[in-house]
Amino acid sequence: MVVLLVGMCPGLDEDLLQSLRAADIRTVEDLVSSDIEDLAQKCSVSYKALFAIRRVLLAQNTAFPVSGADLYEELLSSTAILSTGNPSLDKLLDSGLYTGEITELTGGPGSGKSQVCFGVAVHIAYQLKQSVIYIDTTGGLTASRLLQMLQTETNNTDEQMEALQRIHTFRLFDVGALLDCLYGLSGGGLHKVCVGGGSVKALIVDSVSAVITPLLGGKQNEGMSLMIQVAAALKTMAKDFNVAVLVTNHVTRSSSGEAQPGLGVSWSHVPRTRILLERVERGASGRRSATLIKSSRQACLIKEDFDLQWWSRAEGEKGGETSGKRKLDETDT
Amino acid sequence: MSESGTQLFARLEARRCLKDVEPRLFADDGGPDRGKTELLYHLLCRCVLPEAAGGLEVDVVFVDTDYSLDMFRLASVLDSRLNAGGSAGSDDAVLRSCLSRLLVVRCSSSSQLLLTLHFLETTLSSRPRAALLLIDSISAFYWSDRSEAASVAKQEEKLSRCSELLGRLLRDYRITIFATCHPIRRGSNGPPSSSEADRSHLCRAWQRLVTHRLVCSRQEAQHNPANGDERSGEQRNWQVFTVHCSSWTGTRGSRVSSFRVTDGGVEFIWTPRPPPDLSAVL
Repeated sequence: MVVLLVGMCPGLDEDLLQSLRAADIRTVEDLVSSDIEDLAQKCSVSYKALFAIRRVLLAQNTAFPVSGADLYEELLSSTAILSTGNPSLDKLLDSGLYTGEITELTGGPGSGKSQVCFGVAVHIAYQLKQSVIYIDTTGGLTASRLLQMLQTETNNTDEQMEALQRIHTFRLFDVGALLDCLYGLSGGGLHKVCVGGGSVKALIVDSVSAVITPLLGGKQNEGMSLMIQVAAALKTMAKDFNVAVLVTNHVTRSSSGEAQPGLGVSWSHVPRTRILLERVERGASGRRSATLIKSSRQACLIKEDFDLQWWSRAEGEKGGETSGKRKLDETDT
Repeated sequence: MSESGTQLFARLEARRCLKDVEPRLFADDGGPDRGKTELLYHLLCRCVLPEAAGGLEVDVVFVDTDYSLDMFRLASVLDSRLNAGGSAGSDDAVLRSCLSRLLVVRCSSSSQLLLTLHFLETTLSSRPRAALLLIDSISAFYWSDRSEAASVAKQEEKLSRCSELLGRLLRDYRITIFATCHPIRRGSNGPPSSSEADRSHLCRAWQRLVTHRLVCSRQEAQHNPANGDERSGEQRNWQVFTVHCSSWTGTRGSRVSSFRVTDGGVEFIWTPRPPPDLSAVL
């Protein structure tokens, strides 16, 4: 609700404001929705003046319509695809994380969500040389693990340090701090965070369900509305700053016993792409299977097996495709 | 272009200029799938495509309340339909002209939605070819309104005002409005019955405005034997959705259709038998 104030637009002076308030018009929405002729008579103001004020207020407060063609051109020129560093995951994601979209990794405890997030952050910081913002709400992020992953990429300590500097971390443990952080970043903090020339291209929140789940349930509506606020903040960051957002979520069991992503129906519309991570029954301890459960670009339920240790494999194994991937469904791209 | 879609789409096909457009308001409910969004894109494509490719060549206004418009997906669906139509002209120019018939507005709160709808009145009067208003989704501000307001009346106030305004737009400009609504509860996966217990959770003014309701639900992913694919043994998991459509105008009726989402957008699946209550439907 936008409250009417003096000086909001030319012609809206104190007297007019008083007479409008007397006619029970306090906000811009009230003014715009009411009958101008009627109102002009009640407030003894000229119809023309009131109509002009209405037009200016409307122009100031509405969303600006954009032609589809212009929007498409803009998207074509500004969208980037960031590889995750793991070819199996890239295949599921249709070559990587898209900027301007939210991708969700969901999985039970120990399914490797945080490890995937570390791997992605390291890959983007080192290989793609772009800045990453990592918001950690679980306390699982350690610099030593990131360094360990970097050490398998390069032996040069300067390069390692440079890459580590491109990963900006925030440790928050409640939703208020998360919202503050996101609003702060959108409000100009993003520019301050850029260092070494690389712009911020990825925002990782691990995990978003850890701060929202404690608020859901029960009779209060606060939890749902805060969740929607977080969703809106993440989406505006993704769209306005051209950032690829990666979030993690927990799983719950549905009535038929299968795993489904947490945070309910209202959150399910928020991410554009959703991947479910699960442990593989047989195989080495680092093997996980990723299933695509929601995507706008690929047929759903494609499954890929991958190795969690991909991002930290030894120097000698890099440079060649390991062919230990098992695909359950043929897809054609 | 033959289409075994619902009779609503058939009616839409018949409408060309603004004068002949019957004012209809559709509300599209459904679970957390791409089914609803794909239907919207299907409708959008039908409207903006040139007549040579099977479209209606009308302008569409798309109100996006939750940043969910996927322009790449839309462009790829348009592209595949243009190619299927066999147009020999330069695809890029045709694609651009189709997309320029689409006007996108993004709203971030229900007050902004209300003000934007007021603003759209002037836009609609200056664009006589605009025949379709798509809102995705009308329920995006439900939770933020609910937490802001102290009472149920205040909570529903903005949406009721939007509904009244939409009603006026329907009457004065004779456009068609198609809106999606997300459910707040995880419904059962079975086929919806015609008399649903799960009524819309939006305000009364909105419920009164809705004349047709399409409920989308997801069916189990089926392994379809490859039709016409040369590669042997190829299987695809097509997501099959069913749409259950009920109408409240004139004669009451309902109809069920199913469609699947492919690279080229929504593809209706031909049902061999017509539904038994076809005669009761407009």
